[in-house]
Amino acid sequence: MSIRTETPTRPRIGSDAAPILSFDNVCKRYGSLDALAGVTFQVNRGEVVCLIGPSGSGKSTLLRCANALESIDSGRVLMDGRDVHDRRTDARNLRRRMGMVFQNFELFPHLTVLRNVAVGPTTVLRMPAAGAAARAMELLRKVGLGDKAAQYPAALSGGQQQRVAIARALAMQPDVMLFDEPTSALDPETIGEVLSVMKRLADEGMTMVVVTHEMDFAKRVGNWIVVFDHGKVVEQGPPRQVFEEPTIQRTRDFLSHLGWHGESLAASDLLVPAPSGSYEHRTSD
Amino acid sequence: MTLDWSVVWDNRWRLIAGAEMTILLTAITMMLALPGGLILALLRLSPLRAVRSATTWFVEFFRATPLILQIYWMFYVLPAAFDIRLSEFATALLGLTLNVSSFNSETFRAGIQSIRPGQWNAGLALGMSKPQVMRKIILPQATVRVLPALASTWVSLFKDTSLVSIIAVADLSYVALKIRSETYRVLEVLTAMAALYCLMGYPQAKLVDWLHRRLKVTE
Amino acid sequence: MDIDVSPLILNWQFILTGLGFTISLSLLSIILGAAIGIFGGVARTYGGPLLDTIVGVYVDLVRSIPVLAILVWTYFAFPLVIGESLTPFTGGVLALGVHLGAYITETIRAGLTSVRPGQMRAALALGMSRTQAIRTIILPQAVIRMLPPLGSLIVIAVKDSAIASVIAVPELLRQSQVLAGKTFRPFEIYTSAMLIYFLICYPTARMIDRIYRNLAPLGAS
Ligand SMILES: Nc1ncnc2c1ncn2[C@@H]1O[C@H](COP(=O)(O)OP(=O)(O)OP(=O)(O)O)[C@@H](O)[C@H]1O
Ligand SMILES: [Mg+2]
Repeated sequence: MSIRTETPTRPRIGSDAAPILSFDNVCKRYGSLDALAGVTFQVNRGEVVCLIGPSGSGKSTLLRCANALESIDSGRVLMDGRDVHDRRTDARNLRRRMGMVFQNFELFPHLTVLRNVAVGPTTVLRMPAAGAAARAMELLRKVGLGDKAAQYPAALSGGQQQRVAIARALAMQPDVMLFDEPTSALDPETIGEVLSVMKRLADEGMTMVVVTHEMDFAKRVGNWIVVFDHGKVVEQGPPRQVFEEPTIQRTRDFLSHLGWHGESLAASDLLVPAPSGSYEHRTSD
Repeated sequence: MTLDWSVVWDNRWRLIAGAEMTILLTAITMMLALPGGLILALLRLSPLRAVRSATTWFVEFFRATPLILQIYWMFYVLPAAFDIRLSEFATALLGLTLNVSSFNSETFRAGIQSIRPGQWNAGLALGMSKPQVMRKIILPQATVRVLPALASTWVSLFKDTSLVSIIAVADLSYVALKIRSETYRVLEVLTAMAALYCLMGYPQAKLVDWLHRRLKVTE
Repeated sequence: MDIDVSPLILNWQFILTGLGFTISLSLLSIILGAAIGIFGGVARTYGGPLLDTIVGVYVDLVRSIPVLAILVWTYFAFPLVIGESLTPFTGGVLALGVHLGAYITETIRAGLTSVRPGQMRAALALGMSRTQAIRTIILPQAVIRMLPPLGSLIVIAVKDSAIASVIAVPELLRQSQVLAGKTFRPFEIYTSAMLIYFLICYPTARMIDRIYRNLAPLGAS
């Protein structure tokens, strides 16, 4: 199936609106390596900002600095106007408002799927077990995995594990979701089910920062594209502009390296919207 | 409480002789227990079921009972029930060797089994016989893998030799305990004994750690 | 060679007492060792360089000294240091527990460090504190992974309890020695003692293997 749909990419949400997350000249060094060399951009509420760029350019590092899993050397990260790295800020409090999804899922292997989703609310929010389980169940149904609640992660496919990981992050009812290459450890067949879930989430208005190599997704779902190289933002703008008329040679090189040649884009099967009420990806059955 | 450390210095030559006995026992035992363990490991791969299971029970038995009891058993039962009379030293050596051989056989077996079956097939496909594949392909690879475990066994053995003091083999423990009962300088002598073991055992333990880090299997 | 089992039958209570001491000595030293080991392992992994060094010295010290030396030192010399005498049983539990604790410390540390760092990140990203993350996410996985080595340590604890016979704890080996001396039937008595140890240690080892095989996937992050 290959429909050529001209989805107009969403405009950036009013640039005068106060950004929910902003990076201001963020620098991070590992020894003599500048993993982040002065990164500046903003994420507005309700936006999907996609970070793209070659391997080792600092995308994962940036996400880890966003929720203070990693310290920074200079600059500022502001979440809702609060300095994430300020010593007086309660990092844990900020972290629970930012859901994080990892490249290799990082589900907790010793907990059932249900408990994986419920463990955040019970331990961090001190929610009663029954309430947390109910919330977890609801989220699992939402990502189409209601029937897997009692399984252990090892019994699930990669795509299913990643959907559980998304549910786990959502269980904390975050204001922002951070995705670090959520589909790059997946088999091609299961990438779609995860992207559908993410698209639905975006449609519901969730603010998302997505590191991805899925250019289709970035183009169709993203409001704003930030291109990284060597720890710097080399280009940013609406998808239209970045993909169709990249101003920088480096961006063009990177995109063509990924097999992206602007106009030749065909709508991907992967992003067929899932039936309403469920994030479940319908495969050919 | 007054301490008088001169008792340690006065008896230094006896303690050193004891330490030498400890090292000697460790070295000879290991020299015997390496081939011993290999033989047991190969017997456990024997085509004969009876041989396999007899070896397995032998090994499991020595691994699942206390060494100190094994030494007592050899010391009291062999002469009384079987009329086998060995010197204390030979008895100690026998007990230690059988015990360590059993542990080594497990190490070798794990090492041999850790080589992927593809290696067997590759050797056989070249037209080698099974013993040839074992000798030329499997064992050389397994040797590197078992080295760290053998080194750990060496350190355990070094410490376990102290148990032969109960049948009056004059190792470091025996000598120290004897000096203690002669002089009644309990704290000084026992502390010196622990310190001497530590002095010898510490570098060995560190060497083993290094080997483990160095030869960590990454596959 | 004639075999006479009557000394065993006549003295079964004596042997049973010994078995009781063997079991309680092993259990208590395992409990003490586990307490030391969990604290030590967590301290070495997450406690910063100072704690790591201090616990490291303890571990290295114990690892280089035979358990026999630790036992006789604890029972004969340690009371002179504290000015308080110990019963053989207390001395035995103390020495064996401190000895075992060093090995459990290293086992737990290896287990904790073998859990992928991403697991800690994922737990922190949910807003957990480090303590919560260690307790609910890292430690359970580490313990599952460490079951095989912890299982061998339990067997070692039972076997090492026999060494407490040298400080006259009336455990199985000690009782056997007394009995063998009285009855002049060393073959029957030492062989049965051997069998009893085997019947404790071998099934324990097998059982832990089985448990591990069932749990292994849960510890594999
Ligand atoms: N903990 C660390 N210690 C030292 N160097 C690190 C660390 N984490 C990342 N780096 C280095 O920082 C640079 C940026 O890494 P990062 O993982 O952020 O890149 P990335 O853009 O996410 O790449 P990829 O697409 O491969 O995931 C790389 O050169 C990496 O080697
Ligand atoms: Mg990355």
